[in-house]
Amino acid sequence: MTSVRMRLGQAVRALAPRVRELRFAGGLLVLLGTLLPWATRVFERGPYPDKSTLQFFTAPFALTGFRWHLFLIAIATLALAIWTLPGRNRMLSALGWSTIAIAGVNIAYLFSEGGLGGLAIGAPVTLLGGIAIVLAAHAASGEPVPVWDWRLPWWAEWLLLLVIFAGLLFLVASLLTAGGIGVTSPFSGAIFLSFLGAAGGLLGVLHGAGLLGWITAMSERHRVFSVLVLLFVALALPLTSAGTEYWMTVASNIGIYAATAIGLNIVVGLAGLLDLGYVAFLGIGSFVAANLSGAAAAKFGIDLPFPVVVVICAVVAGVFGAIVGSPTLRVRGDYLAIVTLAFGEIFVRSSQNNIAGLTGGPNAIPNIPAVEAFGTNFSSAVEIGGIKLPGGVLYYILIVLLVAGVMLVFANLKSSRLGRAWIAIREDEDAARAMGIRTGSAKILAFMIGAILAGIAGAFFAHKTATVSYESFRFLESITLLAAVILGGMGTIPGALLGASLLFVLPEKLREFADYRLLIFGLALIVIMRFRPQGLVPDRHRRAELAPEDEPPSLAATPPPEKVPT
Amino acid sequence: MPPCLVDPPPLEVLLQQVANGIVLGSLIGLIALGYTMVYGIIQLINFAHGEIFMVGAYGGLATFTYLLPTFVQQRWYFALPLVLIGGALIAVIVAVLMERFAYRPLRHAPRLAPLITALGVSVFLQEAIRVFYPNATSALPFPSIFVDGGASIPVGGGAITVPWSAVLLIVVALGLGIALQIYVDRSRMGRAMRATSSDPDVARLMGINPNRVIVLTFVLGGALAGVGGVLYGGYLSNINIDIGFQNGIFAFTAAVLGGIGSIKGALIGGLAIGLVKTLGGQCLWGGTQYDYVWIFVLLIVVLVFRPQGIFGETERVRA
Repeated sequence: MTSVRMRLGQAVRALAPRVRELRFAGGLLVLLGTLLPWATRVFERGPYPDKSTLQFFTAPFALTGFRWHLFLIAIATLALAIWTLPGRNRMLSALGWSTIAIAGVNIAYLFSEGGLGGLAIGAPVTLLGGIAIVLAAHAASGEPVPVWDWRLPWWAEWLLLLVIFAGLLFLVASLLTAGGIGVTSPFSGAIFLSFLGAAGGLLGVLHGAGLLGWITAMSERHRVFSVLVLLFVALALPLTSAGTEYWMTVASNIGIYAATAIGLNIVVGLAGLLDLGYVAFLGIGSFVAANLSGAAAAKFGIDLPFPVVVVICAVVAGVFGAIVGSPTLRVRGDYLAIVTLAFGEIFVRSSQNNIAGLTGGPNAIPNIPAVEAFGTNFSSAVEIGGIKLPGGVLYYILIVLLVAGVMLVFANLKSSRLGRAWIAIREDEDAARAMGIRTGSAKILAFMIGAILAGIAGAFFAHKTATVSYESFRFLESITLLAAVILGGMGTIPGALLGASLLFVLPEKLREFADYRLLIFGLALIVIMRFRPQGLVPDRHRRAELAPEDEPPSLAATPPPEKVPT
Repeated sequence: MPPCLVDPPPLEVLLQQVANGIVLGSLIGLIALGYTMVYGIIQLINFAHGEIFMVGAYGGLATFTYLLPTFVQQRWYFALPLVLIGGALIAVIVAVLMERFAYRPLRHAPRLAPLITALGVSVFLQEAIRVFYPNATSALPFPSIFVDGGASIPVGGGAITVPWSAVLLIVVALGLGIALQIYVDRSRMGRAMRATSSDPDVARLMGINPNRVIVLTFVLGGALAGVGGVLYGGYLSNINIDIGFQNGIFAFTAAVLGGIGSIKGALIGGLAIGLVKTLGGQCLWGGTQYDYVWIFVLLIVVLVFRPQGIFGETERVRA
């Protein structure tokens, strides 16, 4: 494996003298591919999006969608081929990979839709151009990410941050709605994935140019302002193109899972305790809320106000968290993971069998009434100051506040005395104990706080989805949450948010691949652990539990001996 | 008070449950051997081992359905060995590929990484069968590959029956367990395995190739799981893609209960688990709906209070 990679690297570097030509060739090929047709005919499910058939020639230069993004990529590549900018090769690499991703996705879709005959010349030409750009970038690579130190007056920086976050809102809203609703519109997956590729390319270019680092540094300088603007921006999502009931529901669900994932991040990311049954706490919160909601199937015929229910959910989940966490006093590592899995399975079994009449068993607890406050039903549409907002928007706002609250808890805990104790335990439990940390209580607290956060999220979940069934809390859901935390990057907030968004948006968009969803999911887990165990947004200054160790390997890394044992 | 003590069931019902428990327990013991060997050598909880068992069952079914002519299908003394070989072969191939491409690159990664990879492999294998095996979205009937009918032993007011396919399962599980124990105790590769298990670095200095030992471990574990899968299919006469996860967890419990790394312990642990499931379903609160719960409770109790198991060596430092 390694030797193949080394030889590949040498071959790419041999192209160094031709790097100028390669850049121009790549840019021109992508430009050409953008203007050529991509599909040979109109397919049965409707024309391929973005005027990709020959009909393009009846309305020339009307580039839309992914072809417009590719056009921009081509122009940017040509510009970078002419002018030397710091971080040029990194930017080119991002542009090239983005092109390959977009072309690859569309080739796959065109192929599956119309076979080889459906594929017109534009797509392969673009792919070739993308490969040329990547080769050019890697033949002459080896430059660091540039660091900018520009300072502006505070009001200018505030203004700039406002603009940037507004742009972020626009990007998120477009990503969410890209391709439309998976069930009804054909090719929604192709459009969404193309857009994702383009957005990834944009971020890659910004990173390569050092602008992302600059923006991060700027928002760090105005921390409180940034956080407030981000919260405001999140609350403004209903005003964008995503402001329909459907997308509000999708966004609310993502929010609930993101809050749960951040809770799990405390247990796994900070304290390094692998919990394979975490979704049970979400379930406990949900069932408690469902039983106290006044639903017809609930065991108790009482209808408590929502804030009281949230508190009760938190307490109950916290108690269970302490119970599940108590074996950590004696059990470590993967044995602990198995213990948590066993607790999770016991929860699923018991709720499937309608234990004590609390869970409804296979019938679930349906028709949970919506939250009501000040005489407003939270599921209904509202009108504020002449602006009509879609149904579910109040839930969305509630859940944004939940996520914000959970983030606040996480961020404060992480830098608290307890948080530092958790990280010390994660890195070396015996050393932490030797330093005087009470490891036992710290570990149980990690489980408890994680469980409390999930329990609170469960209360929201029960009211938002209106039906609570044991099927939502099975082992696979725990694995999905864990994957969200790992994919995003353990121990970081943006990581958990990003991971949860990706893992819960992708199935929504790729309905035509619903059959392959879990197959790809399993494969993705293997591949991530192999190639990027630290996740998409790695924890900056602390080595995560999953980063490779520096110790010399003990087995098999050295070449095996020639002879068999005697 | 458990329901059984309040209102004891007739003796033949209890003994029938004991018999069922022994059958299930032999199967779980067979799978647990794979867990225990892999953990003994590379300290990896190979979560996907249960799926290897499931793949073996489907491999056997595929061999029977697509490879064997009707003439052979109808004669169990031809069909049984061929189906067993087919199932075991598929299971071994999958196990070796899994070791090579999923686990070997991570051998020096921190502990969480291989465990999560194992979960990924588990999901992947289950879904691969569901998506690519014809009609595997629902349970598939498994052909009869052994003598039909069973032994009937009259007890008290009734009789307990044990199908011949179950007898075969018990005999094969015990036989393979003993054979494995002898292999590990006596053969040269067995000695290499034990050496690698107790100290991989010193073993390598002694000229043992650790990769060979590890691959051999996966081959043996895969073969046992594959055989187990085929026999399980023949016993229950239908299989679905969920059998791997459930039985895998039970087998892991058995391996821990018996003391991880111990072959004898895996078999005895398996029997204990089988009996807990059937007798727990019969005698404890909640009936058969809660029989799984008792296994998980046992798992937690064992891990918390005696993590080294019944036959395990004293606790090593785990991180």
